[in-house]
Amino acid sequence: MELLPKCIWKTMFLFLVFLGISKVHAQDTLVVDSVVLSNRSGLENVLQGNIAGLRIKSWSGTPGAQSIINLRGLNLDPTDQSTMPLIMINGVPIISSPSNVTGINPLSYFSSDQIERVEVIKEIDLLAKYGVLAANGALNIIMKEGKTGAIHVRGSAFGGANFLQDMDHQKDAFYNFNTSGRRAVYGNGGIVNEQNIVVDGGGDFGSYLFGLTNYQDKGTIKGSGFGRQSLFLNAKYNISKEFSVHFFNNLALANRNGRYAGEFNRDLLLPVVNDESFFMNKNRNIGLVSSMALNYQFSPKFKISSVAGLSYEGASRDMYVPSNVLDGNIYAASAAYKRQLLTVNTSLNYLHDFSDALKLDMTIGNELRNTDNRLTSVDGKRSLENGGSNYVKVVTGYNASQTNAFSDHEMEKLFSFYGIWKFKYKEDMTVNMVLRTDGSSFYEKKWALYPALGIHYDLKNSLKIPVKVNASIGKTGILNKPEIYRGQLEGYGDYFGGNELGIGLLYPAFQDAKSINVYQFDAGVAVDINRSMNFSVNYFNKIYKDFIYQRYLPNINGIDYQYEMGGSLGLSGFEFNLDGKWINKRDFSWSSNLNIAAYKNKVRTMPADINNTNLVHLSTLTEGDALTSLVAYQGKQLKIIGNSEPKAFGGISNTLRYKNISASMTLTYAWGADVSAESFTSKYYADNVGNDFPLKNGESPYYTTSTDANGRTIYQGIRQVEDGSFIRLNKVAVSYNFGSMFKRMASISDVVVFVRGDNLLTLSKYSGVNPEENIAGIRKSDLSFTGTPLSSSVVLGLKLVF
Amino acid sequence: MKFWKFIPIVALTLLSSCKDSLTIDDLENRTVASGYYNSSQRVEQAVIGGYVNLRRALLANYAWVMYGEARTGDLNVAVNYQQAVANQQLTVDQRNVKQLTDWGYFYDVIKDANDVLDIVNKADAGVLNTYHRNLYKGEALALKSMAYFYLARIWGEVPSAEKNNFGLRLTIQESVTQAATWATEAQGLLPWLHINDDGIESYALTAVRFNKTAISSLLAQEELWLGKSQNAYDMLNKTFTVTTRDSISNFGLSVGVDRRTEIPKLPLDESIVSMPLDRFNEIYPAGDGRRQMFNVSTSDKKATLITQNADIMELLPARELNLLFAEAAWRSGRLEEGKTYLVKAAVGAKEDYTALTEATFADALLQERRRMLVGGGQRVFDLIRFGKVSTYIPVFTESDVQKGAAYWPLSANSLKNNSLSQNSYWLSKN
Repeated sequence: MELLPKCIWKTMFLFLVFLGISKVHAQDTLVVDSVVLSNRSGLENVLQGNIAGLRIKSWSGTPGAQSIINLRGLNLDPTDQSTMPLIMINGVPIISSPSNVTGINPLSYFSSDQIERVEVIKEIDLLAKYGVLAANGALNIIMKEGKTGAIHVRGSAFGGANFLQDMDHQKDAFYNFNTSGRRAVYGNGGIVNEQNIVVDGGGDFGSYLFGLTNYQDKGTIKGSGFGRQSLFLNAKYNISKEFSVHFFNNLALANRNGRYAGEFNRDLLLPVVNDESFFMNKNRNIGLVSSMALNYQFSPKFKISSVAGLSYEGASRDMYVPSNVLDGNIYAASAAYKRQLLTVNTSLNYLHDFSDALKLDMTIGNELRNTDNRLTSVDGKRSLENGGSNYVKVVTGYNASQTNAFSDHEMEKLFSFYGIWKFKYKEDMTVNMVLRTDGSSFYEKKWALYPALGIHYDLKNSLKIPVKVNASIGKTGILNKPEIYRGQLEGYGDYFGGNELGIGLLYPAFQDAKSINVYQFDAGVAVDINRSMNFSVNYFNKIYKDFIYQRYLPNINGIDYQYEMGGSLGLSGFEFNLDGKWINKRDFSWSSNLNIAAYKNKVRTMPADINNTNLVHLSTLTEGDALTSLVAYQGKQLKIIGNSEPKAFGGISNTLRYKNISASMTLTYAWGADVSAESFTSKYYADNVGNDFPLKNGESPYYTTSTDANGRTIYQGIRQVEDGSFIRLNKVAVSYNFGSMFKRMASISDVVVFVRGDNLLTLSKYSGVNPEENIAGIRKSDLSFTGTPLSSSVVLGLKLVF
Repeated sequence: MKFWKFIPIVALTLLSSCKDSLTIDDLENRTVASGYYNSSQRVEQAVIGGYVNLRRALLANYAWVMYGEARTGDLNVAVNYQQAVANQQLTVDQRNVKQLTDWGYFYDVIKDANDVLDIVNKADAGVLNTYHRNLYKGEALALKSMAYFYLARIWGEVPSAEKNNFGLRLTIQESVTQAATWATEAQGLLPWLHINDDGIESYALTAVRFNKTAISSLLAQEELWLGKSQNAYDMLNKTFTVTTRDSISNFGLSVGVDRRTEIPKLPLDESIVSMPLDRFNEIYPAGDGRRQMFNVSTSDKKATLITQNADIMELLPARELNLLFAEAAWRSGRLEEGKTYLVKAAVGAKEDYTALTEATFADALLQERRRMLVGGGQRVFDLIRFGKVSTYIPVFTESDVQKGAAYWPLSANSLKNNSLSQNSYWLSKN
């Protein structure tokens, strides 16, 4: 704690602790059973279009891949994982981003049927509690618990098929790259199916819920697919009147088989021949989330709770590219990435009534967070030899001089204290005060302090109008990546017969490193127009400061660069949400939700002399320009040619019920995002074209530059800058509830049959298959950062409750 | 239960927030902030890093020979930028030539050497014993001395990368003077023979690490460059005596696998480096014993060097010693003694060097250095030292040489963000 002398800080903290109050409640909650579920694995597909401000970008149709998840998130690198919100299960942080090794989505380790609701936390007075972990919002997944009764058995299953509608290979991003080979691997009819069985019950002893799930999605690329099996338990046990324990466990096995065709960028060792049928890319994950919460209620006003959580993922990948794909060479690689996240969160909760009108709900606690990630990989190449099968050649390819082996280990510890004071004045006003301090093993300057204050006022009583207003202000942070400030010694090369390794300094430790500061202001108004209709408008403004970047040093320094901190970005926006229950009669009901979010990100300041830093690609951007601007050369001038982020996005949902039939649909849309579609043909070595980019008929005059492994400059032409706006029929379901029909059968209490479709229709002017198929607004000519076609699917399903 | 009873609990929780008790253990990683260099082996890794950097500086783009015989046309290198170098088109817009004008790797050696000196100074007796302390310090000083010496001979005036005068422009004289100071210190520290991990004197190890022979050769070269021939003469005579004869070693770069793919594993490979046949016949006339150093192909019209040891790329061979003795003696006014050493050095020469005079000695010595040290990259440096650049690189007039033509132009990277400027010759070529 360097901000203040230790003694002052402690006194202040103690003072605040004893002033203080209460549990904060999440602002938005999505009850999962109330929305259309998705045929695709991954919770984000269920949330898509249902939460104002939560942007889910379906960039890839590969089953098991994670869509981009962003909730008011921004970072210098817009594709960076740190723009993701913090994701928790029952309040316990989990590993939520896919590993680079297998790319399997950790949000697919459980079935949507297991989830009760998802709390969406966006406002600073609610986020500050999570400090440095949740500058870009948080999602808290609350799992279903057992319901009162001795035993219930619920079974559900669905099965159906994937298909590519009107698949025009000329529109596919992969077009022009071994076209025939790729066409051969796309196929309709890949099966998608899921089976779940859940047993639950509850009583004075507590409650229990356990079950298992199986999910398979074969996608639309032949020979590939994703599968997941999970076992889970969610149990509460009341040991005594005061003391209760809550166990949660979810163990999942996930697998994803990939194909070269359709999944890998075309930089992977060419030329490619045939349809690449024998290409092995097997990905296997094991995902475990386990938590145990102990609660002790000392008195009606005083409670202590402690939650220990463990999130583990073991990811392994085996890959083999045979000689008929690599034209005479074989390649084999194997990698394993094991990640673990251990958290212990202990808190004291105290309720105090100052008077009948003024109450205090106070929580203070600490959180320990320990991550430990270990990567091991080996790969080898060998040119074709006579004799033996392909497989034998791979094995012989693994020898010392042809194999690269790598093993690395990352550890991180975070220790935090937090205090939450919630003052409640009558039913009208709530004031949230939050203070959190995070100490990280990452930094020399270990401690950061995150305060926040929020006021929520309900005007119903005082002004007799059904309006609630709120405003909050505060600060959080983002942990800078560890490799940035630790410094690194680099192994240089074998020495004398290959048995001694030289070590040199790649870059020195950056001792002034600290986390990125994020300042946030929120204001909102919620209006209940009448009993069946309400809307809310929220505004936020976030300022991000002090990113770490590299400054290139003059070439007499002996090292290439050093680290510095600086730069500032801004993100602001409006979110609008409308809920309506237009008709609510016994035989007929109709309800709707409309949400829209309009965000704007901008550069506030950039480091001085940016051309000598690794942010040189942002040098064209001046104050006020969007960070997500697409930048390219025209002639010799760099200019902004678009913005990869949409001006507005959101969803529209409608649910209709007539007697036992109900129909729901969710439309998603994004408006105003530009896509820079790189040309497959206008790509040149600069020295071959006299360092002047040749213009091509029918293509834009824009191009980007890069450098190949030999240091030659490459010009990559941009075919056109396209409008990526779209509206999509994201999810639609029709169900029939047989409830009354089976009433006579005592053992069956409920039967529902449903038909559900995903991504059945997309309206867009975009020339390709999916306007969101890029990760960062650029459809790359080498297909990197570019997804496979998004498939449609239709399934038939059944739910039974015994 | 009263609320105040919990004050001690809360206070205890808070007291544990002392920074000291929360300091998290050092991570088991590559952090260099502190604690990495806790054994002799680890310090040695850093020393070896300096050799790897030197290897990169000299072998990337065949730099050592581009700065030497490839520039004078004595050797051809089968790469597409050789012609530009041989034609003295050193400001041409070609990637490899541009890299050759960049001195980054040499400064990497200096940085590495200075780091090693810091590490050695900070290391306590438990980490380094006296032998290793002297050895590593000596090697670091030698590497630094060699790097500055190359810098001054290739580019002329160069900036200092020392803490006390970082970025200050050094004249050639200043660079080489400080290089000689470090070499003198290193000479007192380095052993004749290195001891390997088994505690045995190892000739193989000695041949790829700085040793007493190598540092003495380097120091002699530097003294001669500075015109301090008497110092060189005294030092050589003091160092090399009858008793030390058996301890003499070569020194070269260990050639092996490098993480950087552009570093050739076989730098003198016959398919890459060769001498044009007419040049070969001119330098080594029929009957000269040194023709045996080559494989001659009349059909390809080239001669290629026979590599004795593919693991080593020689930089300071022991065979240079007599040449250095000869030069030091002659330049310090001992012509007869110089001739004796030259005869001793030039094994296989047809010429009768006993008849040399003050006027003819320089040419003969220069020619013998050319013959004996071929492939070592010293040719242009020798021409500068002997004042013969315009004779052997006829594209340059004496006036061009005065303007700095013999030195390499500075790369764009070297000129960026500092007060350095191109010398007047290369400025006129831009």
